[in-house]
Amino acid sequence: MPKCLVCYKWTLDEQDIKIKPEDLSLDVSRAKGKISDFDRNAIEEASLLVEKNGGAVDALTYGTTSVKQSLKDALSRGPGKVYWIADTSAENADGNVTAKVLAAAIRKIGPYDLILCGEGSSDQFNQQTASRLAALLDLPCVTFVSKLSVAGDTVSATRKLEESQEDVTVKGPVVISVLSDINKPRIPSLKQVLGASKKPNEEIKIADLNLKPEKLLPKAVCKSVKGFVMQRKNIIYKESAAADNVAKLKASLTSEGLY
Amino acid sequence: MNFDLTEEQQLIGQSARDFAKQYLEPIAVGLDQTGEYPKAVVQALAKHDFLGLLLPTDVGGAAAGFVSYVEVIEDLSRYCGAVASIVNNHTVAAYTIQNWGTAEQKKQYLPAMAKGELLGGFAIFENGPMPGVGQDALIATKHDVGYVLNGKKAFVRNAGEAGVYVVFATTDPAAGAKALTAFIVQASAVGVKVGEKQETMGLKGCPVAEITFENVVLAESALLGSLNQGAEIVAKALAVASVAEAAQTVGIGQAAVEHAAAYAKQRVQFGKPVAVLQAIQTLLAEVATDCHLARLGLRNAALLIEDGKPFEVEAAMVKSFLVRLGPKMLIDTCQVEGGFGYSETMPLPRMFRDIAGTTLLDAPGDFPEKLIAANIA
Amino acid sequence: MSILSPEQLAIQKTAKEFVAKVIIPNAAKYDKSGEFPTMLLEAAKASKIFAMAVPKEYGGLNYDALTQALVLEEWGYGCAGMGTTLAASILSMDSVLVAGTDAQKSAYFKPMLDAEIGSFGLTEPGAGSDAAAGKATAVKKGDNYILNGTKCWITNGGFASVYVIFALTDPAAGVKGISAFILQRGLPGFTIGTTDHKLGIRASNTVELLLKDVQVPATNLLGKEGEGMKIAMMTLDMARPAIAALSVGLAQRALDACVAHVHTRFPGKPFPGQTLQFKLADMQIHIDAARECVHHAMQLRDAGMPYSKESAICKTFCSDVAMQVTSTAMSLMGSYAYTSDIGKYMRDSKIMQIFEGTNQIQRLVISRAVLAHPPAPIAAQKAGK
Repeated sequence: MPKCLVCYKWTLDEQDIKIKPEDLSLDVSRAKGKISDFDRNAIEEASLLVEKNGGAVDALTYGTTSVKQSLKDALSRGPGKVYWIADTSAENADGNVTAKVLAAAIRKIGPYDLILCGEGSSDQFNQQTASRLAALLDLPCVTFVSKLSVAGDTVSATRKLEESQEDVTVKGPVVISVLSDINKPRIPSLKQVLGASKKPNEEIKIADLNLKPEKLLPKAVCKSVKGFVMQRKNIIYKESAAADNVAKLKASLTSEGLY
Repeated sequence: MNFDLTEEQQLIGQSARDFAKQYLEPIAVGLDQTGEYPKAVVQALAKHDFLGLLLPTDVGGAAAGFVSYVEVIEDLSRYCGAVASIVNNHTVAAYTIQNWGTAEQKKQYLPAMAKGELLGGFAIFENGPMPGVGQDALIATKHDVGYVLNGKKAFVRNAGEAGVYVVFATTDPAAGAKALTAFIVQASAVGVKVGEKQETMGLKGCPVAEITFENVVLAESALLGSLNQGAEIVAKALAVASVAEAAQTVGIGQAAVEHAAAYAKQRVQFGKPVAVLQAIQTLLAEVATDCHLARLGLRNAALLIEDGKPFEVEAAMVKSFLVRLGPKMLIDTCQVEGGFGYSETMPLPRMFRDIAGTTLLDAPGDFPEKLIAANIA
Repeated sequence: MSILSPEQLAIQKTAKEFVAKVIIPNAAKYDKSGEFPTMLLEAAKASKIFAMAVPKEYGGLNYDALTQALVLEEWGYGCAGMGTTLAASILSMDSVLVAGTDAQKSAYFKPMLDAEIGSFGLTEPGAGSDAAAGKATAVKKGDNYILNGTKCWITNGGFASVYVIFALTDPAAGVKGISAFILQRGLPGFTIGTTDHKLGIRASNTVELLLKDVQVPATNLLGKEGEGMKIAMMTLDMARPAIAALSVGLAQRALDACVAHVHTRFPGKPFPGQTLQFKLADMQIHIDAARECVHHAMQLRDAGMPYSKESAICKTFCSDVAMQVTSTAMSLMGSYAYTSDIGKYMRDSKIMQIFEGTNQIQRLVISRAVLAHPPAPIAAQKAGK
């Protein structure tokens, strides 16, 4: 009967972000929020595990005040309770800060048998949260998980790596980060959506985590984010003989370093 | 005044969009071609509580409210108008039983309807000038156990798939519509004969057929509301249905204008994407504007319904607006896509055929303008 | 409508009879299957109606423009798809009428005397409204031109015997480098591509035409090299009112269906309420005005007067009227319409606003003509007196 915790991030929906053609900067004025994609898989996996084996799922999130918009969304997907930390420090937090805040919170609200994260967030995809959390909490960590099961106090995971697959078992509490092909996140039914408001949410004030202010300052600073726009070269090879066109194409590709 | 949806309403909308993308997008084209009732999709809708959206929790419904309902219908309609039609006709039938049924009737039908085990149909229209008038009018005569129904109902949606119909018959042909009475009729009742499925221009997959009632004996307990209360019930139910249908129009229109806008950005003529031409901008802008205003109007009407306030005038206004400007949404977006907007390999022709089925004036001679004009302050 | 001569009335009557006998009973069937109605061509042989625009000296009926419009309105009334087959065939022969030599005319018109049809091939995947952006080429080689390219949305393409195809003889010259050619069906390398399944006018055949090293004798060049676009524009001026005439017939059919239905729905009640009555009145107002519009343009043409602007006006107005009337008929007649032919009329109407120059292109033509002739200034008057 595992006690699970899922850590999730509330990010901007990249579909709503427009790239300004003048300087490739991002216009996020009309962007709505969403639970980061891989985190959705993590929430789903935790919910499925608990639906199968019993136990409970809590959710935990750290973000700016916008994080309050995520609570019912998260609760409609299976967790029984959501803890949230809203603080301006989240605006520029790097992997270091995020993991310290989450670890401090987990020490307060835990312990947990299983802590799940998405492999990386939809916006920055640093892939650091799970490993850093595990290190700070002195727990084992299994990443790139595409299959997960629990039997008693043993967690079995399949890691999907670039050229191979690894089967891992861990006894006792563990931090897991999941890939998107581990499951298909549920479409919350209407009752699940409406039931979310009846579930508890609890704010954890950052001050109560007793972290020194300098711990909340990022060491890695993001200087700018620019959009990527695919530029076409618009070069047409118009030689009358096909062979000549192929030769010209080959020459171009070579000069671009692609051939 | 807050035009925004609540958090729950937004999440419900998101679920509806995700559902539509997963379940409706893959079948929309095939369904339009075969017209075969999408049983699996209807079952999936039930599992996600969409078929019991308006029903109270004590009968297994989600009680999510009418504003959520129109949001869901709009989202489903963006991908498949036919499935939205199935849901609408079922929901209007359930709504009618919910609001005028006895405790026993509600207990007998609503839990199964909420679960999607029982599909509802709503039989009001006839071939004559008005329900209750004309040679095939559906007449209910007194009988030992209750009533006997004889006559026909035309253009019944969900006919043949529905397990229960809310039917309107006249108890006194001389009084015509004034003696209109509502009944709950089970599809399995002896004498209920569903005719051949009719070929529709669009919204294919939502079955439409005539139903003949041949000496259908009904117990007293089949009476819905009171004797001769039919006109009152049907007016309200049709007003609710018109708001639900308006959400279909807006959903289809929105999907069309988004598709046309994306098309215009990549279709190059005269050296530029046609999206930069004012002619194209005008077509797209007018459709987007009409969709937006209609959406606000129907959300307002939906909120009035949800709050139990008078809503018939606002519903009539939305209907009047969309009868005039609904088909234009597809006339203009097909225009943007030119030859591609006329080829059935693209989605717009199907949407053109579908949207036309959401702005029909079926209540004969009963134009929405009549009610609006009577209620101008 | 215009006051018609006894001759024109007789031709109109004959057209009505043909439509009632051959077109109306088969319209729904071909609309459903999308199959091309070869029976139509068979049935039309005796009357030579497919040669109604062919001059007398080539054995045709030589109908004037107004008379052609009368016939096309009747065909549009019967089935816009079958009407388009006739209209598009005439469109293609109009190019030859305008720019052909005697020998070319003779060869092109002959098949039409036997109800064989022609096809006009201008549009390409990258050249719709921007007709000048076509990429098909025609390279002179000795006594022939070698044609390469792809044409799309070509009406009658799958069943025509003769074609007018536009291709670049001088790609560097842009629009001034386009030339027009006459092609026969079955020329090596000239094949028919995919058939398009359409929203409406489904009895009309719409296909891709594929040209791969098609050898066309230089004697098949229409007019001179580089005159292609000029010929196309003159042809379209002639052909646009045909679409307008089809639209008028289509709209009238929808209104007639509406009126018949109202009588059935409200038996013994001649006036079923002002709202409904006024909608019917508005439909008739627009249809009558549309008809006048076509007739006016045709009378100008028959009188040898300029009529480009009027041609654009009637195509735009009539197709918009058809779209409006058929949509209104659909709403008014409710579910009855949704399960009946009214759906076909609405589907058929939509293309009328698009092909042979979208109504947006027409408005460009019209607005240019309007702006080119500002009204003479009227002397300002003092207010108040």
